[in-house]
This record gives sequence, C-alpha cells and structure tokens, in this order.
Amino acid sequence: MGEVLIKVENVSKKFSKDLKKSLYYGLVDVFAGIFGSTKKRELRGDEFWAVKDVSFELRRGECLGLIGHNGAGKSTLLKILNGLISPDEGRVEIHGRVAALIELGAGFNPILTGRENIYNNGSVLGLTRKEIDKLVDEIIDFAELREFIDAPVQNYSSGMKVRLGFAVATCIKPDVLILDEVLAVGDAGFRIKSFNKISEIIKGCAVIFVSHSMPTMMRICSKMAFMSHGRALYYGDNVNHAIELYYQAFEGENSKIEFNDGADIENIYINNKLTNCDDFIELNYLGTLTIELDILLKKEISKFFISVQITDKDLKIVGQYFSNKFYQNFTGSTNKTKIKVELNDIQFIDGDYAITYFITESIGKNYAFLATYRNYSKLRMVGLNDTIYASIFMKGKSFQNNEILSLKDE
Amino acid sequence: METRVYQSTKNYSISAVVKESLQGYKQSFYLAKQLAKRDISAQYRQSILGVFWAIAPIIMNAIVWIFLNGTGTIKLAQTSIPYPLYVIIGTTLWAIFTDCILLTITSVNANKSIITKINFQKEALITLGFIKLLFNLLIKFILVIVLMLYYHIPISSSIIYFIPFMLISMLALISIGILITPIGILYQDISKAVPIAMQILMYATPVVYVMPKTGFIKTLMELNPFSYLIINIRNSLTGYPIENLHVLIFYAIVSIVLFFVSIVVYRIAIPIITERMSA
Repeated sequence: MGEVLIKVENVSKKFSKDLKKSLYYGLVDVFAGIFGSTKKRELRGDEFWAVKDVSFELRRGECLGLIGHNGAGKSTLLKILNGLISPDEGRVEIHGRVAALIELGAGFNPILTGRENIYNNGSVLGLTRKEIDKLVDEIIDFAELREFIDAPVQNYSSGMKVRLGFAVATCIKPDVLILDEVLAVGDAGFRIKSFNKISEIIKGCAVIFVSHSMPTMMRICSKMAFMSHGRALYYGDNVNHAIELYYQAFEGENSKIEFNDGADIENIYINNKLTNCDDFIELNYLGTLTIELDILLKKEISKFFISVQITDKDLKIVGQYFSNKFYQNFTGSTNKTKIKVELNDIQFIDGDYAITYFITESIGKNYAFLATYRNYSKLRMVGLNDTIYASIFMKGKSFQNNEILSLKDE
Repeated sequence: METRVYQSTKNYSISAVVKESLQGYKQSFYLAKQLAKRDISAQYRQSILGVFWAIAPIIMNAIVWIFLNGTGTIKLAQTSIPYPLYVIIGTTLWAIFTDCILLTITSVNANKSIITKINFQKEALITLGFIKLLFNLLIKFILVIVLMLYYHIPISSSIIYFIPFMLISMLALISIGILITPIGILYQDISKAVPIAMQILMYATPVVYVMPKTGFIKTLMELNPFSYLIINIRNSLTGYPIENLHVLIFYAIVSIVLFFVSIVVYRIAIPIITERMSA
C-alpha cells in the first residue's frame, strides 16, 4: 500500500433550496469570509446538508467508488475534493498533483481548431506551454484525429470532441485522479481504449470515481462509499455490499401490461404458487423455475409461442427463453389454454430479477406480438452466498491430472 | 509533494492570502495568455470588419457630439484643442474606464463553465481580462494617434505622465471592479447598473465638454475624482501642462490600497460564489 494521498475528515456542505435565499446567503458568507467570522455554521432557513459528515482516507493505488442515487451529494463531494468549493465543516487534505476528469474539453472554443484547443484545454488543466508542446503529438494520436486536427472544433462530431478532451485530460500524470462519469465516451473502440488508459493511470495514483455503471465500478474500485442524502451510509472495501445497497435504494421498474391486444395472461403459477406481480419468488441457485399460466387468445390463431425474459436490477437482460426454439409451437384455440415452461439449472447470481412474458403469434418465418406483460413476476435468487459481479455463476467441474476434484463439504 | 488543504474559511491571515493571490497571478499567467489568445482569435476569425468594432462605439458617440456641436444644436464652450480630437480622446478614455470596472465581472461570467468544473488559479481571469483590455486599448489609441497627427498636435514633455496616469486610473478602476465582482456574480443587477451609472457619470466629467467656469456642473466636476484623471491624461497627450501633479501620489496610494483589498476579497469570495454559479 502506498502513502495516504487523500484525507477527508467530517466534511459537510450545505446548500439552499431557494435561489433568492441562496444568493443572499452567498452574500452574507462572502462578508463573513472577508471579516473572518468564527461563528459556527448552522443551517439557516431553506438550507439542507448536501454532504454531511463524510470521512475517508485513500492511499496510492486505491480506488474509491462513490455511488448513490441522483442528488445524493456525490458531485458536491467531488467539487469539495477538487477545491472548487470549500466545506462548511471539516477538513480535506490532498497530496500531490490532482487531475479531475469531470468536464472534458473545458476551455474549448468551437471556432478554433483542434490543435489550438489542445493548448486551451491543456492550459486550463494546468499544463505549461512546454509540457503541451511535448505532449501534443501523443494527444492527437490518442484521439485519432490527425486528419482533422486543424479543422475548427465546431465541425467535429460530439464523439470526436469528447475524444480530444479525453486525450488531453489523461495525458497528465496525476497523483490523485477524480473521475466523474467520463468513461462512457466515444464509440465502442474508443471506450475500450479509454478504459485501458484509465486502468493504466490509476495504478499509480489514488482515484475517486463516480459512476452509475456498476460493472465498471466492480472492475475498477477497491473501496466503496454508498451515499444517500449527503451521508455515507456505507464505507468500506466490500464492493458488492455497497452495490447491493445501491440497488435496494430503488424500487425497480413497475410491472405493467404493455400490450394485450391479442391475448390475456391469467393465473401465473411459479413453482406451484399463484403469484401476483408484487410477490418475490425465492429460488435457489441451480434450482428449477417452473412457470405455469393460462392464456386466453382474443382471436383465431393457429400457432403461437411464449418467450420469457429475465432482467436484473440494472435492467440488463440476463436470460431469454423462446419456447419455439427447440420445440414445436403451441396450437391456438380461443378457449383458455394452460401452458407450462420449465427452466432448469438457473445459474443467476444472488439478487432480484424481473420476468417479462411475451406471447407471440408464429406465421411461417414471421411473427406478431399478441401480448407483453412487462416485469410481471419477481424472482429472488438465493443460496449462492457469493457476490461476484457477473450475471451468471457458471456451473462446471474441475479436474486435476484427469481426476475430478471432490466436492466441498459445507 | 504539493499539499492542499481545504477547510471552511473561518479565519485567515491577510498576508497569507495576499501571498497566495500574487502567486496565483504568477502561476496562471500562461493560462491567462492562452485564454486571451483564444478569445481574441476566435473573435476576429468570425468577423469581417474585425478591429473596427473595437472603435465603432467611440466613433459613433464622437460623431453625435461633433454633429451637435458643429450644427450649433447645443452650444459648448470653446476647447483648447480641436473639438473632434477632444471628444475622441474623452470618449476613448471613458470607454476604457468602463471596461476596467466591468473587466472582472465580464471575465468571470464568460468563464463560468470552467470555474464550476476545474480547479485553477482564478486570478487568471483578471489577467485574461486585462490582456484583452490592453489589446483593445492599443486599437483605440491608434485612432487617437491618427487624429493627433491629422491635427498636427505638438508633443511636449507632458507625454511622460501619460503612462503613470493611465496605469493608476486603470489600477483603481479594475480594483473597484474586482471589489464589486462577488456581488455582481450573485446579482445581475450590478452588471446592468454599471454601464448606466457610467453613462450618467460621463456627463459629470469633462469627457465631451470642458468644465464650465461657474455653476453646479463645475462643482460636480470638481468633486468627481474622474475629472482629475481625464483632464490630465488628455493634457499629457496634447502637450498641455499637468494640473496638480502632487495629487497623483494620493491617487496612487488609494489605487494600491484598493488593489490589495480587492485581491484579498476576490480570493476569499471565489469559492463561496462558485457554489452559487450555474454553468
């Protein structure tokens, strides 16, 4: 472990909800600041703590992920760490050169060329002319903009602008790096490149990273702080726990019947239990998910199939089943039909999932939707008791010298 | 390794703040130069008439007064130098004075987006405004020089006072501008009120007409600290003797004190107003 580069002690910051009052308080604070008032800063009317009592320490080589819903105080904390605003209480100590990737392309002027803007952006970020002279070719190559570097930036696509900004921002070799949602820039190719660049930089510095992309958090961070209403509700090195807390703070997407012009779904039984959309069905790792439901077709249809889609809390589709992929279609009938789907060896990791049902008419090679019941059942996976960050925990066997390893007894 | 500490600004020592601020000017000089280059080249790349716009308001204002005076619409007292030159010098100086007061507010407002996102020495914005002001000032004075050559104005030894007078006036006005910046950023009223106030104040200063021998306007002009500056800068340019040279020392002291107060206020106020800025 390297030396401590960031030390944050009981930092608090308050904001006002009312603009007029906020401006007035600003004026009062300016005068109080100038005359060195030592009065303790209490909350005034319409004020709230945007950040309250946050403390942590970060060493070289560590990366702290800051997560929380919008307005939890993450950006305010970053602004304090970056020295843009001063805390109302507490103290921040930062050692070494700080680089903040918060705004890419700061200081750009659209009329000027890419090359001129490298100098503008670089100087805003604290580089000297000599330093920029040395780095300019590296920047142009990294941004892959050599062909257009002498064209005005206003003719760039938004992706090109971001690439240029990113290239300038990351050519600095910082001790402390503050990252705010900037990794998802450019097209897929550049995203990989920028991700690798960041991974390379963070090895040698202390990083504070804000993002809503949990997979990225999982890959980069060694510590987590989960913030809610200005407080750090969790701080520690259990990255998965923090991510769980983050997801629990949301209600999830609501269940709804998106479309039922062609068919109705009734009486959904999951593992022999009648469910409505608010119940969570618990399922063990490697368990079987049995879905039974009644379908009432509203018109004459000869063949149809069902598709089951399972999404995680990130709204990522983690699994999809089509009943007609390996089996025949269901035969249509305007009477109520009962259908059953059995999904074996469910390998999802622990957590909450939602199930969406699609009833689809099959017309030769084409198809037409009859009904979509979005997030109509809720599934809770348990039993793996491990918090890896992947959608599925694969089932498999391991051998040593052609002999299978014996099972672990727990 | 460099260490930064951020905490609530409850108490501070003035000498430390002054030191930090002066260092801020030094460290951020390249940044200011680069941003000035950016602003100036962007401005002229998008314009056909270019530098003409820097002097257009002065010429227009002067033409109005030359016309009013020439046609006898209003009767103005005889000036010691040709009236067009008198008006052009007056309005040029007045435009520069107004620019000086608004320099910091304009500069901070134009760069809000980087202030709220990036940590840099905010003194750069004052230097930036100053470089742009100097650039405009040179263009404006080319007009004055052309007119002086046209009217064969003799240059006398008074010209050596031109630079000190200009510097002291600009220092004082820029400092006043910095002092009102914190309020001016929070409330837009300031940047709206200053041009209007300066417009009115212009008529209480010998800008487009000379100080009358008697009456209310004379008293007003005598009380107005700008009169002394305008009269003497004009005299230094046109070869007339400087009036009450010793008073300049008083102006210089006041300017320097104002400047140091203003840089302390600016340094302390910037983080507080940053959180109230939207970008």
